[in-house]
Amino acid sequence: MASALATLQGAPLPDRIVELLPFGSGPLGTAIAAVIGATIVGSLMMTMTAIAGPWAKRKVTAAFTDRYAVNRLGPFGLVIIVADAVRLLSKELIVPEGADRPAWDLAPIVLAFSALLGFAVIPMGSGIHLADPEVGLVYVFAIASIASLGLVMAGYASNNKFSMLGGLRAVAQNLAYEIPLILIAVSVVLFAGSLQMSEIVAAQAEPLLDLGVVSIPAWYAFVNPFAFVLFIIANLMEVGRNPFDIPEAPTEIVAGYQTEYSSVYFVLIYLGEFLHIFLGGAVIATLFLGGPAGPGPASIGIVWFIAKIWAVYLFTQWARSALPRLRIDQLIEIGWKGMLVLSLANLVLTAVIVGVIA
Amino acid sequence: MSLEEPRPTDVGETAEGTVDYAELEALLGETALDREEHVNAPAFVVRPDEVQDALSTLREDAGFDYCSSVTAQQYEDRFESIYHLKKYDDPTQEVGVVVPTPTDEPVSETGEPVYRTAEWHEREAYDLVGIEYDGHPDMRRILLPETWQGHPLGLDYNPEKPQVVPFREHANPLQPDTRGEGSESDTMFINIGPHHPATHGVLHVKTVLDGEQIADVEPDIGYLHRCEEQMCQQSTYRHQIMPYPDRWDYVSAGILNEWAYARAAEDLADIDVPEYAQVIRTMSAELCRIASHMLALGTFALDVFGDFTAVFQYAFRDREVVQNILEDLTGQRLMFNYLRLGGVAWDLPEPREEFFEKIRDFLDGLPEKTTEYHNLITSNEIFQVRCVDTGELPPEVAKQYGATGPVARGSGIDFDLRRDDPYGYYEELDWDVITEEGCDNYSRVLVRMREVEESAKIIEQCVDLLEDWPEDDREIQSNVPRTLKPDPDTEVYRGVEAAKGELGIYMRSDGTDKPARFKIRSPCFCNLHTLREMAEGEYIPDLVASLGSLDIVLGEVDR
Repeated sequence: MASALATLQGAPLPDRIVELLPFGSGPLGTAIAAVIGATIVGSLMMTMTAIAGPWAKRKVTAAFTDRYAVNRLGPFGLVIIVADAVRLLSKELIVPEGADRPAWDLAPIVLAFSALLGFAVIPMGSGIHLADPEVGLVYVFAIASIASLGLVMAGYASNNKFSMLGGLRAVAQNLAYEIPLILIAVSVVLFAGSLQMSEIVAAQAEPLLDLGVVSIPAWYAFVNPFAFVLFIIANLMEVGRNPFDIPEAPTEIVAGYQTEYSSVYFVLIYLGEFLHIFLGGAVIATLFLGGPAGPGPASIGIVWFIAKIWAVYLFTQWARSALPRLRIDQLIEIGWKGMLVLSLANLVLTAVIVGVIA
Repeated sequence: MSLEEPRPTDVGETAEGTVDYAELEALLGETALDREEHVNAPAFVVRPDEVQDALSTLREDAGFDYCSSVTAQQYEDRFESIYHLKKYDDPTQEVGVVVPTPTDEPVSETGEPVYRTAEWHEREAYDLVGIEYDGHPDMRRILLPETWQGHPLGLDYNPEKPQVVPFREHANPLQPDTRGEGSESDTMFINIGPHHPATHGVLHVKTVLDGEQIADVEPDIGYLHRCEEQMCQQSTYRHQIMPYPDRWDYVSAGILNEWAYARAAEDLADIDVPEYAQVIRTMSAELCRIASHMLALGTFALDVFGDFTAVFQYAFRDREVVQNILEDLTGQRLMFNYLRLGGVAWDLPEPREEFFEKIRDFLDGLPEKTTEYHNLITSNEIFQVRCVDTGELPPEVAKQYGATGPVARGSGIDFDLRRDDPYGYYEELDWDVITEEGCDNYSRVLVRMREVEESAKIIEQCVDLLEDWPEDDREIQSNVPRTLKPDPDTEVYRGVEAAKGELGIYMRSDGTDKPARFKIRSPCFCNLHTLREMAEGEYIPDLVASLGSLDIVLGEVDR
């Protein structure tokens, strides 16, 4: 554990790349190193999305519904990823009449990149950690909320009433979940005493209970399971999966804000959605599941981290297969009357506990 | 039945529970000009400007609270509208109201203020036959486009004449943005359909939204109109009509539809059906009902769960078993064409033991499946929040709209033609009519789920009977003449309990081997009419759920 901590609290990834490159540590060298570092993290996330979107989602849903899903192209149908990429990218990009450009063109980019930017401050273990600002957690939430802007842009600029309804629903839903989400995260901050992501991970490294053979680490999911459950629910709302997939509700408003998007833009929006699920998983892993911590040497931390993200992803797919969708007014009610009150209670309780112990 | 209003009076009813037509005639007095004998029940002839008088007398004083259908037709010398009236308490008590109107001025008083359901029926009569109804709130075409020239079932219609419609006459469905209180209002008009993930076919719902709430909703139907009535009128009774019913309610309710035609035609031509064939009919019809209800459950889950999720696939998986059984029996999976006038097409498949075992295996597995559905769907907290007390349809309203089938039974109306107007072998079997008092989306789903269990009970008893049926007594068809020519000027209206409600057929014979008028009373058509009552003031998701809980098939709505 001690060595893991050393790796985590070591310099962020770009700083170490600088030392490997012959450009020195001037502005140019730092910039090149940052681009290389970002490319590594970005590619990792994109690869995961590529697996999750066209392949894993189908396989998982099929498992829930007694079907086989893709199994013809390559081993386990994995080559469907390539086929799907070609299919989606070669489709015609249809621009609706009266679309409000460039807002209409910017929306998919905003959606995809707001999620991607969030990964910059997530410590993924094995030294993969792009930046470690002191306000890392605030940064993640701030960046993730930009997605709401993208949703509104997409909904408003499409010149389609179903898109408009989807955009409005997205805003209403964002308002309802964002506040509880942050309040629950604040309770974690109270425990850790820091907004810095690496500090939050480090604070979870100590053992909570030593049972001799196994020692249970002080992950905040074990320390404060109440907050963990609340956060999982708020996260489902954030990523818009059943029972909270209201902004796109296919059987009600066709596809919500993404109704009018096709081809590359559709891919970008889809990419954004999956990246958001993974970002949600990354935040949950960091705040509640000890980040990259797990058995074995610290150098395989990234494996544990990705496993945790995928666990959260599979949970969203499970919910999607098994749960009915709420109505928008019911969601708002749950957000404001239920989640907000419970998260405030959780915050006060945590503050009292932390105050008494400290 | 606390929800049902007490029957107003017993005027026109004998002690045995049959209709006393002499008393009814006296009740109508001057209004009844004449009395016609139809095969199902006598009908009174009424002047075109006294329709509402006659209908409201029959409704208020004699208790005929169910207007099952309005048939319109043109004779050489006159137009005629027939209102087929029944009672929800006892549908064997029937009476017709015949309204002749002159050829040069086919205008008749509307029956809509008395029976709301007449609104759509009269629009259809106007659309296809050309009778106009005075005082009707919304006298527009319903099945054909508004720009259509002529009335296709009228005698002077020329089908050769091309329908040339200038482009400007098509209203642009995207243009008007707000409706209702003028352009100042903050409502939004939105077209749900004809292509939309939740409309179960090509249904167009013109919706006015106030925020997310429904301010007004109007189903626009006719996109799947295939002239089924006209096609049947051009086909012979004996062989050519039977394949068409499969195409009305095409989601595996085929045999139920065929039975509607078979029953009406057998009554018209006085054909007997051997008992053995009746048992096979009953069994296969109930298999169809199970398949149909499974599909209804799956697609309703699709509407509420929001995706092709587990429930949808489970329902389809189990429906597949029924489809396989029906395929073994009829050789078809979709268009069964299995019933014949006077019996069924062929006997059960050999080896019979294997076939029976297949059915028994399915029935044995059913309770487990039902429990699974109840765990997954009806006992789900979120599902209940979504469905309980949404899309409410009080029984009085349901009766006004002529709702039947699971929609009526979900509103606590104890009405099932299988029991109340027995046909086939149902009378000899032990089963129950399911009703739920909730009047909401949840009750309608529950009714269908419990009806599957009742159908399973019926099938099991039929299988028991068929297994022990003596081999020398397996008569599958009675002796029916090769060409069927019923007596001229006989008229019949007969309904059966199809998967969605009362599927009725009206036929008039003119002495030839083809019906002079063939009218289909579609249960989905009437049930869909209730959508406005259910959806107004609710949210969009509830509109979608209500539409799903009505379980309409557009092939049957539009015919």
